[in-house]
Amino acid sequence: MKMSSKKFMMYVVILALIVALAGCGTRQQAPAEPVSFTLGSSTSFDTLNPLSSYMQVTYEFFMLIYDSLVIYDENYEPAPNLATEWSHSDDNLTWTFKLQKGVKWHDGEPFTSEDVKFTYELMMNSGLGYMYSSYLTGITDIQTPDELTVVIITEEPKANILMNTTPILPKHIWADIAEEELETWPNEMPVGTGPYKYDSQGPNFVKVVKNPDYFGTKPAVDEYIFVDYENVDSMAQALILGEIDGATNLNTAQMKQLEKDTNVDVISGEELGFMQVGVNCWTDEASAGNPLLLDKNIRQAIELGINKQRIVDIAYNGQGTVGTTMINPGNFYHYAPTAAELRDYNVEAAKALLEASGYQDTDGDGVRESADGSPLRFDLITIGDNLEEVKSGQLIASDLAEAGIKINNVNMDSGALYDNIIAGTYDMFIWGWGADLDPTVIMGVLTTDQIGGNNEPFFSNARYDELFLMQQAELDPQKRQQMVFEMQQIVYDEAPYIIIIYSNNVQAIRSDRWTGYRQIPDTGTFFYNLTIYNYMNMKPVK
Amino acid sequence: MSKRIIAKKLMYALITILIVLIFNYLLFRVLPGDPLAMMMRNPRATPDQIEAVRRLYGLDQAWYVQFFTYFKHLLEGNLGISFVYKAPVAKVVASKILPTILMVGLAEIIAILVGILIGVVAAWKRGTKLDVWTLGFSLVTYSVPTFWLGMILVVLFCVQLRLFPTSGMLTPGKNFISTAALIGDLARHLVLPVLTMSLVLIGEYALTMRNTLIDVLSEDYIITARAKGFRERYILLKHALPNAMLPMITIIAINIGFVVAGAIQVETIFSWPGLGRLMYEALGARDYPLLQGVFLLVTISVVLANVLADISYAYIDPRVKN
Repeated sequence: MKMSSKKFMMYVVILALIVALAGCGTRQQAPAEPVSFTLGSSTSFDTLNPLSSYMQVTYEFFMLIYDSLVIYDENYEPAPNLATEWSHSDDNLTWTFKLQKGVKWHDGEPFTSEDVKFTYELMMNSGLGYMYSSYLTGITDIQTPDELTVVIITEEPKANILMNTTPILPKHIWADIAEEELETWPNEMPVGTGPYKYDSQGPNFVKVVKNPDYFGTKPAVDEYIFVDYENVDSMAQALILGEIDGATNLNTAQMKQLEKDTNVDVISGEELGFMQVGVNCWTDEASAGNPLLLDKNIRQAIELGINKQRIVDIAYNGQGTVGTTMINPGNFYHYAPTAAELRDYNVEAAKALLEASGYQDTDGDGVRESADGSPLRFDLITIGDNLEEVKSGQLIASDLAEAGIKINNVNMDSGALYDNIIAGTYDMFIWGWGADLDPTVIMGVLTTDQIGGNNEPFFSNARYDELFLMQQAELDPQKRQQMVFEMQQIVYDEAPYIIIIYSNNVQAIRSDRWTGYRQIPDTGTFFYNLTIYNYMNMKPVK
Repeated sequence: MSKRIIAKKLMYALITILIVLIFNYLLFRVLPGDPLAMMMRNPRATPDQIEAVRRLYGLDQAWYVQFFTYFKHLLEGNLGISFVYKAPVAKVVASKILPTILMVGLAEIIAILVGILIGVVAAWKRGTKLDVWTLGFSLVTYSVPTFWLGMILVVLFCVQLRLFPTSGMLTPGKNFISTAALIGDLARHLVLPVLTMSLVLIGEYALTMRNTLIDVLSEDYIITARAKGFRERYILLKHALPNAMLPMITIIAINIGFVVAGAIQVETIFSWPGLGRLMYEALGARDYPLLQGVFLLVTISVVLANVLADISYAYIDPRVKN
């Protein structure tokens, strides 16, 4: 009798615990619950300091907290933000920006032209602000004739001055920080002028709330919560269960799962950037790359021999489009190769090109040799923990075997690959770049002065370098477009980069709860698209 | 155990920690990959910026200068600045240590208690149906992949039964009206990670306990005790268990030492903001200061746990004391 009553008590306690724990789950509906949107991401916040952060999700956060002089609208045109109007002198060297009246920082201090001057000079002098400061190069002087006017003087005409979305920081806070502490200053309570104010940060989230004093149109959502998920499967489950309202950086498996859910709007949107095969074009004696790759014909034959569509379909499960030139198809500056230039997958053409260039399989082992007997045998390095790229490497090896080129797949981690690239001790590698709307950033990668830095294939072309400088200073978009077109033509023809795929980002929103959002551009993504359009236009479903 | 022996053991522990520290320092630097270049592989950054950052972190100095600077700062209690988080390592580690100790510590306690219980029952009822079932259970949980088990529990408890949240430590962005509400929220988030983690550990404890206890139960002195007519329960508790506990103490000490290292897999599935995950990320980013900081903590706790195990042997096993 004694034993059984003890046992009974135990069951009661266990039952009470289960009920208590489960009971916590029912959300208490407090009056006037704020309209809250929770966005899941697989990248986490590194620091809230815009001078030293370089994470994708923090970039979004800064766009909500801080304002810039101009921002991109949903058509990627520069739109007024802190600057209401702008004009430039006849020699295109002096830009005058008129500022919005009555703007207040989140702490109540007034915003003035001094803040703009301070921020730009802070970044230019300290060399910090990696995500923005390249847009400030070429600025020689910043003047503030009055509190609502900023005059920017540039050395050369500056084509991308209206694409500069550098966040403006409050001088009254940042001026007090010693220069050597700028990079590691935690900025625990970011103060901006933006439509949202910083609220709080937890173990894996950051929360922002609506700024009631915002000078522009006020958004419908009261608070955004950015949550990081270490595991994208869990993130997809959380979306289905309604723990979060939106999700980014998902993969194809989850896309298929989410497509079945009628409450969820899931898209595979184009993002800025591409995945490329880099080929070692270094002509210096120090290069340890296979010298055969210095022959443009081989590089072109490699491109002809790669079935890019199959890579998109198999390695990327269809999440992306076949790549050609360095700027994404949705962009105004994208150059589409003509039918004559285009090197679509064609094994016969690859074989014919190699044949005509004197590479034949003389010993019958299936691998072609040059006239002096060196086989067309190259190492292709991929980053081991990037499954898509590893699969792509294997597909490329099997494709090129048919054309008589032997590819030896090598896996290493990104750090080791980086070392090999810098030292020039590689034949070919697979890696990707993220790009910007302005072509300067991505086209700058292949200029001669970037050799030893971002110019991974050691590519050098005098005309390309010349065009790069010209386009930077060309304010007429049509003329600039022609220059950037020619640069892309040169790279496509020389093939130091064989661009395989323009990749996509799979994102989803609970469409049963939210409306007012769209893909930006039309084939792009909901979030991470360099605009705050969706954050500002998101509305709860009535 | 005399004070002198304890002092000696602590001395050895200190020396071990120092050697591990030097080894860790060198080991991370043998890894290929320039940490700064990796994080600055960014077409928006200029070469001047990269140089400036390199100077800031002292990476432009010769390796031996960096080495001595590290130990000098360590003596001053300064663990350096994390490359990724741009914040003091001590601060980054401190923010992750409590969640880890809470989750892994709780799972360890549950696993140790339940594991020992299952092991003892199985050994005592050796050969019966109960033994077969508990042995089967232990073998399955011991060998099941953590990742898989976690996902299955998510599907069962979150998707099907909708009892617990899928991940995180607290409901993100929620303003809690009271401490009780906060603890309730924390508890709901704790259940699945702790359950996963302890299920995986129970098997190890149960199997070890069962095996050693079976060995002990077949010893002659147990037969003697039975022949003397002692009650079974008395034999188990007073004669068999103390001797069977020695190997358990070793396993428990080692596992407790690793509590601070977190549990990468469980932390990943449930996005638990712990040290295991932090260590993994730091490794990927070649965040040397952060890696060294986490390894220092793990080293100290593993070595200390072993010293404590050594000392506790003396109280359990008279042979060691003498």
